[in-house]
Amino acid sequence: MRFSYLLIAVFVFVGSFSSYAQDDLSPERKQAVDSLALEKVRDLSKYISIIGSKETPWSEANRVIDRAEELFMPESEIGVSSLNNPNNINYYAVRTYFERLMRLNYKKVEIEWYNIEYMSDLQRQPDGTYVGVITIFQKFKGYDAEGRLVYQDTTKKDITVFVKRKETQIGGRLIGFWDVLLGDMRVKETSK
Amino acid sequence: MIKSFRQYQTIFSIVLHSYNNDKITSMKLSQVNYTKLLAILISVILITGGATSCKSKKKLAREKAAAEYATKVEQSKKDLTAIINGTSPWTFEQQSDKVNQIKSYNLDDPEVIEMIKKAEEKIAMGIAESERLKEEERLKLLEEQKRKKDASKYTEIDKQLKSISASSTIDAANKKIMLSMDQFASPDVPVLIIISQSGGFNDYDRPTTISKFLHYLKDKQQYKYQVESLKKDTLGKITELELIKK
Repeated sequence: MRFSYLLIAVFVFVGSFSSYAQDDLSPERKQAVDSLALEKVRDLSKYISIIGSKETPWSEANRVIDRAEELFMPESEIGVSSLNNPNNINYYAVRTYFERLMRLNYKKVEIEWYNIEYMSDLQRQPDGTYVGVITIFQKFKGYDAEGRLVYQDTTKKDITVFVKRKETQIGGRLIGFWDVLLGDMRVKETSK
Repeated sequence: MIKSFRQYQTIFSIVLHSYNNDKITSMKLSQVNYTKLLAILISVILITGGATSCKSKKKLAREKAAAEYATKVEQSKKDLTAIINGTSPWTFEQQSDKVNQIKSYNLDDPEVIEMIKKAEEKIAMGIAESERLKEEERLKLLEEQKRKKDASKYTEIDKQLKSISASSTIDAANKKIMLSMDQFASPDVPVLIIISQSGGFNDYDRPTTISKFLHYLKDKQQYKYQVESLKKDTLGKITELELIKK
């Protein structure tokens, strides 16, 4: 009986080790996955500037909202802060955030993201998902009809990133891919 | 030296003895006898002196040979250590020549013999590793040539995709997208993007469709990919596009 338990324990140990070894990424592959996650955040940066821009046609902005929404995990939230009310940070569902961004009451809006980098590297979780946090700085500028800068702020935001390996069938081939999804985007600091 | 001196003593005593015998037996020595004695003495000195000198030369030669042997052993050890530790500046061929040269000395020093064995193993391993690297390099070059050849096959479609990303206005980009879409079997043709390749294994980004991808190029205003492969249907329309991230 004792021997059977020992045998089972050995199998479990060997099984878990081989599963760990399979999922263990080489530095080159890990680097590629890191870059992919950063690229998704850069994509979001581009989408936000397109959605926010008053020059973007309505149909284009809506198409881009769809693409931007696809970057996020369901039920993720995005924080919004204002220098006019620094102690109050409002969190909105992703779609709501983009629709509000599109309707901002300025004649012209400029949004620029910079210093996009990892605050904490992607770490493998027990379920095989890699989780990390990417920090960005967002410079927002709002102009009135006369072209005057009426509001500007700089916000530091943290975005949680989830990366999971998935498989799909394409043209009879099994394709293994890295699915990068963004989680909540939290406001850390707001300054002029 | 002592041995040579003793030889002188022995020879001299014999000569004296012979002389004394002459003196005892005849006691009628003449001037001629003295001359004879002197000649014998000189001969003896010359003979023994020559013999001693010959013996010294042999000894010197022996000492010289021993010193040369010690130098060879020392130099051989130094060279072999450099080969074993991989610190020598020589090529594998030069290292091999060096070991053969050391072997030709026939040194019976056990340490040198052991070191020769190790050096030969080290050189053999080095040559094998060097050949492996050469082969790897050759395959890499072939792969690169193949990639270039394949890449040139898709230059036209790469140009089209780049042109969409470089459009100056949304309208211009949309027109190019419409034109490009004609080459594809449907707007839902899958687009696979390779993010890394290692050990014959591809890692992909989340698959997308050609319609979404072309608009993505318009939004991002940059094309940092290269067409890796594509599939066409019987009508010549593209049914699958595989790109690699540059």
